[in-house]
Amino acid sequence: MKRSLFGRLWPNVTAVVLFIGFVFPVYWMFATAFKPTGDIISEDPVWFPVDVTFEHFRTATQADHFWTYVTNSVTVTVLAVVFSLIIALAGSFALARMRFKGRRGFIVGFMLAQMAPWEVMIIAIYMIVRDASMLNSLVPLTLFYTMMILPFTILTLRGFVAAVPKELEEAAMVDGCSRMTAFRRVILPLLAPGLMATSLFGFITAWNEFALVLVLNKDAEAKTLPLWLSSFQTQFGDDWGATMAASSLFALPILILFVFLQRRAVSGLTSGAVKG
Amino acid sequence: MTVQTERPPSGAADVLEAGDGGPGRLKPRAVSRAGALAPYLLLLPACAATVLLLGWPLLKDFLLSFQNLNMAQLIQHVTEWNGIDNYKETLTSEDFWRVTLRSILFTAVNVVLIMVLGTLVGLLLARLGKRMRFTLLIGLVLAWAMPIVAASTVYQWLFAQRFGVVNWVLDKLGWHSMADYSWTSSQMSTFFVITMLIVWMSIPFVAINLYAATTTIPVELYEAASLDGAGVWRSFTTVTLPFLRPFLYATTFLEIIWVFKAFAQVLLINNGGPDRLTEILPVYAYIEGIGNQHYGMGAAIAVLTILILLGLTAYYLRIVLKQEEDEL
Amino acid sequence: MKRKLIAAIGIAGMVVSIAACGGDNGDDGGRAKSGKDGYAGQTLTVWVMDGSSPDQWQKDVAAAFEAKTKAKVKFEIQQWNGIQQKLTTALSEENPPDVFEIGNTQTPAYAKTGGLADLADLKSSIGADWTDSLNNSSVYEGKQYAAPWYFANRVVLYNKKVWADAGIKDTPKTRDEFYADLKKIGEKTGAEPIYLPGQNWYHFVGLVVGEGGELVKKDGDKYVSNLDDPKIAAAMETYKKFQALSKAPKDKDEATPQQGEIFAKGKVGAFIGMGWEAGIAIKANPKIEKEIGYFTIPGATADKPEGVFLGGSNLAVAAGSKKQDLAKEFLKIALSDQFEGQLAKENGVIPNKESLQSNLQGNAVAEAAAPAAAGGGTTPLIAEWAAVENEPNPIKAYMTAVLNGKSPAEAAKQVEGEFNKRLAQKQ
Repeated sequence: MKRSLFGRLWPNVTAVVLFIGFVFPVYWMFATAFKPTGDIISEDPVWFPVDVTFEHFRTATQADHFWTYVTNSVTVTVLAVVFSLIIALAGSFALARMRFKGRRGFIVGFMLAQMAPWEVMIIAIYMIVRDASMLNSLVPLTLFYTMMILPFTILTLRGFVAAVPKELEEAAMVDGCSRMTAFRRVILPLLAPGLMATSLFGFITAWNEFALVLVLNKDAEAKTLPLWLSSFQTQFGDDWGATMAASSLFALPILILFVFLQRRAVSGLTSGAVKG
Repeated sequence: MTVQTERPPSGAADVLEAGDGGPGRLKPRAVSRAGALAPYLLLLPACAATVLLLGWPLLKDFLLSFQNLNMAQLIQHVTEWNGIDNYKETLTSEDFWRVTLRSILFTAVNVVLIMVLGTLVGLLLARLGKRMRFTLLIGLVLAWAMPIVAASTVYQWLFAQRFGVVNWVLDKLGWHSMADYSWTSSQMSTFFVITMLIVWMSIPFVAINLYAATTTIPVELYEAASLDGAGVWRSFTTVTLPFLRPFLYATTFLEIIWVFKAFAQVLLINNGGPDRLTEILPVYAYIEGIGNQHYGMGAAIAVLTILILLGLTAYYLRIVLKQEEDEL
Repeated sequence: MKRKLIAAIGIAGMVVSIAACGGDNGDDGGRAKSGKDGYAGQTLTVWVMDGSSPDQWQKDVAAAFEAKTKAKVKFEIQQWNGIQQKLTTALSEENPPDVFEIGNTQTPAYAKTGGLADLADLKSSIGADWTDSLNNSSVYEGKQYAAPWYFANRVVLYNKKVWADAGIKDTPKTRDEFYADLKKIGEKTGAEPIYLPGQNWYHFVGLVVGEGGELVKKDGDKYVSNLDDPKIAAAMETYKKFQALSKAPKDKDEATPQQGEIFAKGKVGAFIGMGWEAGIAIKANPKIEKEIGYFTIPGATADKPEGVFLGGSNLAVAAGSKKQDLAKEFLKIALSDQFEGQLAKENGVIPNKESLQSNLQGNAVAEAAAPAAAGGGTTPLIAEWAAVENEPNPIKAYMTAVLNGKSPAEAAKQVEGEFNKRLAQKQ
């Protein structure tokens, strides 16, 4: 079947339009961050930052405790992702590879857990943490973030584990490996893309969270970047240059992570998502 | 169920082997009992975490929903039970039902947009040449990766009344009344911005996964279909769609949850305003509970919110329950 | 409602100066010794609102406090936005802020919660000459729950250069003159005549006070909305007329974004704000300092300035604080004649004692604010009021509705349900 010129053209044209549509907000964020204020508030938009300035980044990072927030955010996010991956790996292995009573119940249970609207339970969480004298600490934050991403991680990893051919595992065991070794040598490497794909979701969720930390941690020493960004916005209001610089700084780590990992993640996510 | 091959008993290794001892397999009793425990042991950390970190707050929230808990009670740590007063007040208030209806409509509109557009973009990806596909993928991944707080901020800037680029473009396109338009001034325009944001952020997940899923469809199926004389549309409905159905179900389920819980986007774009007209259930629970310092009431709304979300996803959960029976 | 009681402050008080006292407090001697080593190594946490006390004041108070008690003080700057939610949870915690600034309209509600310590002894030791009308909001059911700190009313802050560019020589004396001047600025210069966002509700309350209106009325033993009063509608019409001259958003308040920062860019003729908001502008753009001028918000006639909202802050001690004595020591220093006077001088705010008003002499802000203060008022000082100020504030919704074209009566009807719900909210 030969396609007409139009038939060959329109997918590409659509793709270009879509590309612009998806990239523009991200581009505009960076572009605004680098433009001098005069170019930002001009009657006609300046489409490209001609005079590049770092002024806005300076304003944004000059906030008190900026680096504390960075450290806190990184700590909490990385720990939550690692914890949830470890816990989920064990659980998903059981769910994908073993047969036992109540298996269905567990799966539906985790699906239910995934639906938890955390923002509406904040006062309950606050009272629990307060009464445990754990306010202004990164510990409860890490634990709750771990929990927020755990159900998704388990369910997704289950699909990845199931996608690893059982025969490979068995072959390894025939070669005299114990099941643990077989798991480590054969399954884990095959699971790597799956782990990365799921961790991306965890990263973005934990990195973003602000409603819980707002109520739990009032000390500047225990705050995280989303609070900085949202307070920044109320404070600086229409200083869009500084606000966009702050947004850029906040988004950059996740953007890099995604672009870096996307190919592996995408190849893996399908199998995970298809299994739901 | 896969075929079990015989394998020499090897101590520890078998301990992990769950109770799938099929017929014709001999195992010492003790090992088998330990084996039966293995999946539970593996699930233990996850379950413990869920009970402790999710179950406990849920229970606490449930208990709070039967209390009169306001500033004074919170500050002085007093517990004042007030029966089902909070529920009575919530369920008889017109606001609650209006917000519920709004939440459901909001979720429906967004999920339909996301699924339809996401599927189309996914199919387009499958059709593109290598280079073009890579380009579009990069664009999608960038949108997908934008953290919500940052994305909401950027959308406020795009739609800003003064110097916002959207208003400028509309003005240049001849829509001069939009030159100084305030997008946050009315319910519909605020929802429009929120929907743009959510759809923009959510399409990539659907599109990329759908594209990846289509690559796993065996080519033979299409060949067989075209031998039967099926056209493009027929082969889409008889091959592609059935193959992708479980995926579409799962993704729709996820999107319903995510959109229904779109707390941060709504709050950051316009605080649920103007006049509380864009509040969806989680935002309503937050504003009544924490914002208005009526914590017991907020807890009751939270419980109702969870029940409504359960209702919305019940259909899918039932499918899963059924389907899991036949699996493995 | 006790609003007119605050009328005590006026020019008279400012001009007649009663000998300014130094830093010596009457009760300095014995007390300080007793606590000399007892407090060493402790740190007192004090919450103050953004912009309300100058850095220098904080530094000086901290130094004096440390010299006297050997303890340190940590000032933590808070935003008004969301402060009630933050304060409520903080007061329920193990380590609440020991001392905190609290708005006068919010004080009664917090006094009722039991979160504020009784300051009866402080009142008797240093508060004998606190101006009665200013102390009103701190007293709840006969008990002293906070100490009056400072009071202020809004003025017009204007950009002298912009006004000169428009060829205006004198500051306006009546509302109509003010409007005409602003119009002229709009016509003759490229500047925005006035920056007035749609939800500067403190200014609106001032206009209501000027009209002699009340925001709430009593219905039996309950308070209910009085927004459908024609006096309120008249105040809103005035607001609307001036707001039409501004390009500021109709659905934002004066702090999002900070109007001082907009003004700092030099392209705005005037804004209505607190004197200390000039500090925000100067911080954003030091060059603007020499251009800032102040005048009293003009009223309908030249002999009576516009009504104003008498904003103010009290200092309170958390009932849950484990450093009650140290907290009171801090209050004695912060509210001493020396530092209360310094605050008045630097920020141009009304101090808590009439005897300290001499500090306002020659202060441009205070001179602009004082004529209106006599006719100022507040929101109702009732415990039910604080809930109204929680976002989304129904008064703000009312304002935006009118500015977007609804009639005041329709808008009043629209927000009435929410307003009454807040006033009736269980405590």
